[in-house]
Amino acid sequence: MENEKTLTEKESFEIITQMINKAKSDYRETGVAALMWGSIVTFCSLVTFINYYLQWQPAKYVWFLTYIAVIPQIIISVRESKKTKYKTYNADAMGGIWISFGIALILLIYFVNTFKAEHNETLFLILYGVPTFATGYTRKFKAMIIGGTACWAFAIANMYIVFPYTMLLTAAAALLAWFIPGLILRRRFLKAKEQHV
Amino acid sequence: MFKELDPILHSQLRLAVMSLLISVKEAEFTFIKEKTNATAGNLSVQIQKLKEAGYIEVVKEFKDNYPNTTCKITSKGVLAFEEYVKVLQQYLNVNHK
Repeated sequence: MENEKTLTEKESFEIITQMINKAKSDYRETGVAALMWGSIVTFCSLVTFINYYLQWQPAKYVWFLTYIAVIPQIIISVRESKKTKYKTYNADAMGGIWISFGIALILLIYFVNTFKAEHNETLFLILYGVPTFATGYTRKFKAMIIGGTACWAFAIANMYIVFPYTMLLTAAAALLAWFIPGLILRRRFLKAKEQHV
Repeated sequence: MFKELDPILHSQLRLAVMSLLISVKEAEFTFIKEKTNATAGNLSVQIQKLKEAGYIEVVKEFKDNYPNTTCKITSKGVLAFEEYVKVLQQYLNVNHK
């Protein structure tokens, strides 16, 4: 881009529009974190459901996988932030929402394990819906708006059904809220990467 | 009577840089270079002019052992950009009539 060319008002306006659009269209999420959490929560829910009938002792600890998954999540976050050549206010806000979600989730796990509340899957689904819907709404990403709404719809349904069937709805919620949006993001990311090569 | 367009902003590359920076919180030099298709030398000169005008902040640091320059628009820069767009709209409205 040259600098010293005399600009007409129309050209100035075009530069502004073009640059704002370039900055906007550059944003790409890799989708790896969404895919990972979607797969893990779906897997754990289904194993819990099946194990209700099998009663295999080691499978009762399947949810420990979610603790282990925090390590790759940290690695993914650090790597992605290193690769990013710019920061947006939007990304900061999203980061805040997902960190709040993580803290709220730890507190909820502690609460559920301490007080052995009934229908506790409902509480988890209500919580899952919050950052998912907020992300979808902010990014205008329909798949996550649907996913967040599905979490809340399944949360209501879970109030009226009993364990282990609640686990089937938890699995469905994780698929809709994270796994499917993760797949969409991944596809978009790879497509954009191909175009840049 | 129309105000004059800010001469600092009324330049192809400087305007492009400001339009990019108004859309993000901060951006690295390489990102701005890639998006504006400018040469490193020309971009450095124009960034320096924007910095001297107080429209942007420039932070030089090391990232993974390599020097890294990050630019961020200042509140003075935001005001100047908004004013520029306002004046531009006045000109464009007159030309349309």
